[in-house]
Amino acid sequence: MKRVLHLVRKEFLELRQDPKLFGIVVLAPIIQLIMLGYATTTDVHNVPVVVVDEDRSSASRELVSRFEASETFVVVDAVSSIDEIVPDLDGGAAWMALVIPADYGERVGSGRPSVIQVIADGTDANSTNVALGYARALVTSYGSELGVSHGRRAAPLVGADIRVWFNPSLESQVFMIPGILALVLLVVTTNLSSMAIVREKELGTLEQLNVTPLARWELIVGKLVPYAILGMADALLVVTVAVGWFEVPLRGSPTLLLAMCLVYLLTTLGLGLLVSTISKTQQQAMMTSSFFFLLPMIFFSGFIFPIENMPTVVQPFTYLVPLRYFLVILRGIFLKGIGLEVFWPEALALLAWGLAILALATLRSSKRLA
Amino acid sequence: MNAIEVRHLTRRFGAFVAVNDLSFDVGQGEIFGFLGSNGAGKSTTIRMLCGLLRPTSGSATVGGTDVGRDPEAVKLRIGYMSQRFSLYEKLTVDQNIAFFAGIYGLPRERFAARRAAVLEMSGLKGRESALTGSLSGGWKQRLGLGCAILHEPPIVFLDEPTGGVDPLSRRRFWRLIEELAKSGTTVLVTTHYLDEAEHCHRIAIIHAGRLAALGTVAELKRIFAGRPILEVQAQEPVEAMRRLDEMPDVEKTSIFGSAVHAVMRSADAGPEAITARLASVGISSSCRVVEPSLEDAFLDIAERSVS
Amino acid sequence: MKALAVAVKEIRQISRDRRTLAILLFVPAFFLLLYGYALNFDIRNIPLAVQDNDRTSTSRGVISAFVQSGYFDLVQDVPRSVDVVDVLDRGDARAVLVIPGGFGSDAGRGQPTSVQMIINGDNANTATTVMGYAVGLVSAISARYQREARVLAPAAPLLTAETRVWYNPELRSTYFLVPGLIAYIAMLTAVVSTALSIVREKEVGTMEQVRMSPVGPFAYVIGKTVPFFCVSLVSSMGIIGLSMLLFDLPMRGSWLLLFVSVSVFLVGALAFGVLISTLAETQQVAFQVALLTSYLPTLMLSGFIFPISSMPVVLQAITYTVPARYFLIALRGIVLKGVGAEVFWPQLVALAVFAAVVLTLASLRLKREWGMGR
Repeated sequence: MKRVLHLVRKEFLELRQDPKLFGIVVLAPIIQLIMLGYATTTDVHNVPVVVVDEDRSSASRELVSRFEASETFVVVDAVSSIDEIVPDLDGGAAWMALVIPADYGERVGSGRPSVIQVIADGTDANSTNVALGYARALVTSYGSELGVSHGRRAAPLVGADIRVWFNPSLESQVFMIPGILALVLLVVTTNLSSMAIVREKELGTLEQLNVTPLARWELIVGKLVPYAILGMADALLVVTVAVGWFEVPLRGSPTLLLAMCLVYLLTTLGLGLLVSTISKTQQQAMMTSSFFFLLPMIFFSGFIFPIENMPTVVQPFTYLVPLRYFLVILRGIFLKGIGLEVFWPEALALLAWGLAILALATLRSSKRLA
Repeated sequence: MNAIEVRHLTRRFGAFVAVNDLSFDVGQGEIFGFLGSNGAGKSTTIRMLCGLLRPTSGSATVGGTDVGRDPEAVKLRIGYMSQRFSLYEKLTVDQNIAFFAGIYGLPRERFAARRAAVLEMSGLKGRESALTGSLSGGWKQRLGLGCAILHEPPIVFLDEPTGGVDPLSRRRFWRLIEELAKSGTTVLVTTHYLDEAEHCHRIAIIHAGRLAALGTVAELKRIFAGRPILEVQAQEPVEAMRRLDEMPDVEKTSIFGSAVHAVMRSADAGPEAITARLASVGISSSCRVVEPSLEDAFLDIAERSVS
Repeated sequence: MKALAVAVKEIRQISRDRRTLAILLFVPAFFLLLYGYALNFDIRNIPLAVQDNDRTSTSRGVISAFVQSGYFDLVQDVPRSVDVVDVLDRGDARAVLVIPGGFGSDAGRGQPTSVQMIINGDNANTATTVMGYAVGLVSAISARYQREARVLAPAAPLLTAETRVWYNPELRSTYFLVPGLIAYIAMLTAVVSTALSIVREKEVGTMEQVRMSPVGPFAYVIGKTVPFFCVSLVSSMGIIGLSMLLFDLPMRGSWLLLFVSVSVFLVGALAFGVLISTLAETQQVAFQVALLTSYLPTLMLSGFIFPISSMPVVLQAITYTVPARYFLIALRGIVLKGVGAEVFWPQLVALAVFAAVVLTLASLRLKREWGMGR
């Protein structure tokens, strides 16, 4: 046991000599979190719209100003015929076009229905969907307002009372940031632990350690503990930024959150260790961890792309991704305020994965070459 | 009981046989030299004896423990210094010493004494807080040795410990090894510096993974019994060498410094005869019998083991 | 030329490192397949729980309308006593449809009534879409019951929006994601491969040898970049071809233009890796920096998944430094919109400028390093 402490101490002493690395471990996660926290928004804002006002009446101008007033749309160009929207849409200057027919003012003025055309650039299907939804809603509600002033009944027979739970303002940040937290921790700790061991391999100091009576498990624990400590420090930092800066609600228990982070770190560090056992050089370690572990974990964990959207064939494989479970736990603690009593299956799965990976890595790391 | 006993030790890497059926013993307190050219199998052998590499076949007993079967049991009783410098460059001298002392579980009382001894031995007293990476070659090697013997192991393995180190440092280093041996430590050293091998009690010459010869320095040189070596000094050594090669009773020749060494097939022709023969073809020279050097012996043995 | 010598050496080294070569050539294709197939934003089969407090044929009709739409999968029938929020908490369903008691009789008599939808809002994206589906379904249901109840329908709405979608009428998210995936994978492979190459020479010590030789820093940098360029180019064109084959990615523009865009992009990406290489002292630092500056930012800031226009202005400014951003605009333009260079020449110029700047910086940096201590 005491030997482990010596190892940990040595690791920190070495890290102290490498201030650049230390800075990266501490600063990078925060920078990444902030940058990505703002970037990863699926909310649709400032959709550039080009307006074709064939009517040019005060009524049509009022409609256009409705669009301008909304946060979702920004009118970037106004042209006089449909053909003229092509360069805007082709070039990407606008991705929606609003076409108001020539008789719009006249029809609306006399209480007769009129049809507005909304043309959208479907390249980004997702955002287009959302933007179209907003456009339709805007037109419909404006239409109802106009209708009311013409004495039309507005209420349908069956209405829909829609409530949004956990995130009523539908901010995508709230969903994304816990994910970014997990991701940032993953990237930092997996790399650190895999590199730390491979580097000793490359330099030859690992051989010197293998000659000593140091036990295999002692070496592993001694290598992982410093990075676990760093990882937890990172976790604290990142959670603080998430809550303090982005004001992501933390409705569950902070202690539980940190405990779960620790369990998660077991898997990430274990992963790093595993990578180090199959890599001879640092370059190999980096390639392996970034392509075979980090990338799939990002895509298959439900971080950005919901798992339920994936083809059924693929979905079972997502059970292999520890990040999947951690995301459920994170989002549960942050957004839903639930605890172990609800996500104990995921917590258990995460723990099991962590132990399995560590066990596998330990088995693979032998003091003696076969 | 012998400190080290090796029986038919073999190690293969795929089709390549790096160590081929080695058998030898090393007695306690002996300085045992492992001599061979690069790639002969020296490092591989040492690694097996330290429990770093598993033998393909054969066995080795170190300090009474079968290393092949139970590598961990032996680790407290051996010290190892690898070819590459393998201490932590980012740690200070003191931190490295403290680290390895901790790994070997040195109790407090012993630690202070051993630390002082190692610092004294490596000449690094007063430089404890120097970053190990900033030390030059010779100092690093001595520190490496120091950390390897911190826990006073009875058996020490040194793999080419003086590689890339200046001659003065090398001599200092060997004096340390001799002191170690005098205090009862068994030292197995690999080297390809022949002059260093002269410091060893016994030498094993390894060639292409096999044991080509084993014995004391004197015993090894005795292979030249009945085959005197003549040193020929001539104005044109290359020409002289060519002429000597043509002589049937000259086994082989080689350049040694500015002179030519000729290994004779028998003691029949003496130095005077050779001088006379050379003079008869217009080469003036002086010739005398010299003691075979270890290098002569080594080259001879190596050549023979190939054929 | 000296750069050629460096390049040849690098090519030899690469071809001996089978694992890296395999990674650079085949892994991108493999991942494109994997992710291109698995990842999409199209939202279907939404798990729906229903609490039917009415239990009439009318209410069942509503439920079946939801299920028949193909958007929703009925996963749970929630008993009256259970709090529906629990269902959402546990994650059993993404939305709960609550039909009030008396719904059937109200609707039958033409009395205005409503159904309640509680949607899990944690993923705003999905939630918005689910809302859209729900609203659409409910108004269709409303219209039908209006007819059946022979209630006078309100006059047709005054304003309707008729929508048309260009370039991607079926709104398949693959068209959007796959080019982004291509850009992302290409960027990543390029940066990682070169980022480590120079640093490794530094760490191992062979850099000293090179310094002593007459190879200048600029030639050295070029020599380092070219071999990886060839490999990456083959790899990237390969995955583009693969996408067209397997994901029906259209090709509406010019192949030549595509080739040129890919090339300029790759040069920039590779050069960026080289720059990182010259700035870092150890491979570990090089890698961390590579990750920090390209791995996650390219994923998030290039417009691959998240629309740049929706980001805060500050971040939008930062995206100008992400080469993948320009490349994506060009790639999507060529592939989906079929436009030519006359439209996105600014992007190509930006990519070329990026490459030139980065290459110069890398050589300058190297020059300084080599000059010091000579």
